[in-house]
Amino acid sequence: MSYCVNCGVELEPSLRECPLCNTPVINPRELEKAALSPYPKEKGQVEQVKRKDLAILLSVILAATGLTCGLLNLLVIRASAWSLLIVGGCMVIWMLFVPGIIYHKLSAYLALLLDGLAIGIYLYLITFVTGSDVWFYGLALPIVLWILFLAEISALCIKKLPQTILAAMLYFFSAVGILCLGLEIIIDWYLSEKIQLLWSAIVLTVCVILDITLITLLSRKRLRDEVDRRLHF
Amino acid sequence: MKEEKKKNYGVWYKLDLSAIVYPTLQRKDFSSVYRLSVLLKEPVKPEILQEAVDRVLPRFPTYKAAIRKGLFWRYLEPNQRPGPFVQPDINNPCMPMPFKANNRYLIRFYYYGCRISLEAHHSLGDGTGGMCVLQTVTAEYLRLLGAQIECGGFVLDITKEPEPEELEDAYMRYATSKVRPPRPKERAYRVRGTREPFYTLNIVNGIMPATQVLEAAKRYGATVTEYLNAVLIYALLQNQLSTHHTGLKPVKIAMPVNLRRFFPSKTLRNFITMVYPGIDPRMGEYNFEEIVAQVRGYMRYYLNEKFLRGDITTNAATQRNPFIRVVPLFMKDLVVRQFYMRVQDGNSSAGLTNMGVLQVPESMEPFIERVDICMGQPFSNRTNCAIISFKDILTVNFASSIKETDVERYFFRKLVQEGIPVKIESNRSKS
Repeated sequence: MSYCVNCGVELEPSLRECPLCNTPVINPRELEKAALSPYPKEKGQVEQVKRKDLAILLSVILAATGLTCGLLNLLVIRASAWSLLIVGGCMVIWMLFVPGIIYHKLSAYLALLLDGLAIGIYLYLITFVTGSDVWFYGLALPIVLWILFLAEISALCIKKLPQTILAAMLYFFSAVGILCLGLEIIIDWYLSEKIQLLWSAIVLTVCVILDITLITLLSRKRLRDEVDRRLHF
Repeated sequence: MKEEKKKNYGVWYKLDLSAIVYPTLQRKDFSSVYRLSVLLKEPVKPEILQEAVDRVLPRFPTYKAAIRKGLFWRYLEPNQRPGPFVQPDINNPCMPMPFKANNRYLIRFYYYGCRISLEAHHSLGDGTGGMCVLQTVTAEYLRLLGAQIECGGFVLDITKEPEPEELEDAYMRYATSKVRPPRPKERAYRVRGTREPFYTLNIVNGIMPATQVLEAAKRYGATVTEYLNAVLIYALLQNQLSTHHTGLKPVKIAMPVNLRRFFPSKTLRNFITMVYPGIDPRMGEYNFEEIVAQVRGYMRYYLNEKFLRGDITTNAATQRNPFIRVVPLFMKDLVVRQFYMRVQDGNSSAGLTNMGVLQVPESMEPFIERVDICMGQPFSNRTNCAIISFKDILTVNFASSIKETDVERYFFRKLVQEGIPVKIESNRSKS
């Protein structure tokens, strides 16, 4: 029979430290005895529910929509390749929802990559309707790639770096600043093949000021505690 | 099996008033699951326990059930699939219970050493209903081992058909008040903590002599529930003072009240309502005596048939409103979840339930060492406290999904200071 010297409670014989204050139990008379814990060691796993039926239903509905619209376009309303827009839309919806439904442990990076790919393909399909692909290679594709790149980096930050309200704000403002910078470069290059930063520089300046403030707050524990205390929800 | 299927053809049960809320809060990492355990004096034999479960469960049709979605409401349907199967106990009890897993059963039976545990989803029934199932199973288990156990109290006669009153939604029978008192809306202090990884439930169990707790309570002229409520409020207040010196908030406890004490009913489904005893430290400093006096005053003022009837009527009003009834289920889910997250959950700093002194048939008493109760995973980062006593052993169980044990520490240290010897068990141990 051991007692916690700090809390004054009696501890169950299998405990090696007080669960309330983590003070180690040192009882020279009971060191050798290994009592059976009142709680088992094995951890239970939550049973996963198969959601394949929903995925199958969604896939069939989307495939049927794409196919029937394609046939309608080929055989009846042949004015333009309008069905490509619907086929592309179905594909985007499929890519957005079905992988997550089928596969529970789908990594966030792969899911984002698939979403980016779907949107890229959809935009490419639009080039068949508009008849020109200059806008696609010059503007749409670089923007999609740029946003995809930033989304992947943000996902990495959220997963690997500390998650607090302040850190989340830091990632957010950094991402917004860099996103605007990239967008203006891409748009300028597409329109005039000359890079002249204007609006994005203003956004970036504001974001940098905010980032510096946040980094200062994050690096000073006292300040951080104060902000945490005042802003907690 | 075929006969049973035929018998149950067309049978279904509406969810009761409380049970409507619990499935809406269901998330991948959260289910409203509670656990009741009985510690016997001999190690449990799993195959006999399974036989007892198989014999007993048909007597409880609302527990041998699966939950299903309708267009406007969810409902319970008799479940004829094999199971539920008894299984070896695990370290992290009250795991989330996906509705479509475990052959659609919403109850689980575990065994470990001398302990039999029942875990049930709250949408099936409250602690009293669950205790009936567990005690009837335990009695049948002991009978299969050769003991003579009579029926009575929580042990129901499994040779009889379930009475309609056991399956009723008792709220609707008693929601007859002519006024609807408003719900409490003041936001309470919330414990902050570091979330444990999925899926961990930290348990700290304090075991103490019931007579000494009663004596301590009597010193303040309070009941055991009032006294332990006051100790928990004291612990939460200490925790708040140590972390937030500025911007203090009221400390309130969400305490379910068993309505069967006030309104006669045999129902095995939910029949509880919440009361919120608490103190407001913004009004000044409270010492422990003042906290006990405040809780005692609150309980004696609110816990009577009239106030509780008003409370049930307020809750029933939403379900009775024809405009709300025709709203599709997914929209109700959305609104109820938002209301719970933003208002209801913020109303209290911790949950506390006291099942009181457990009575078992006289012939069963010599076989039982202790009874435990666990309120299950809290919805937000906080700790839930559940109390039960059997003979002279009173068990206080804290369950939380956060790393910090400050509230538990303040709570048990206060009891030790009050002269009550406390023995601690925990699954937090690294041993």
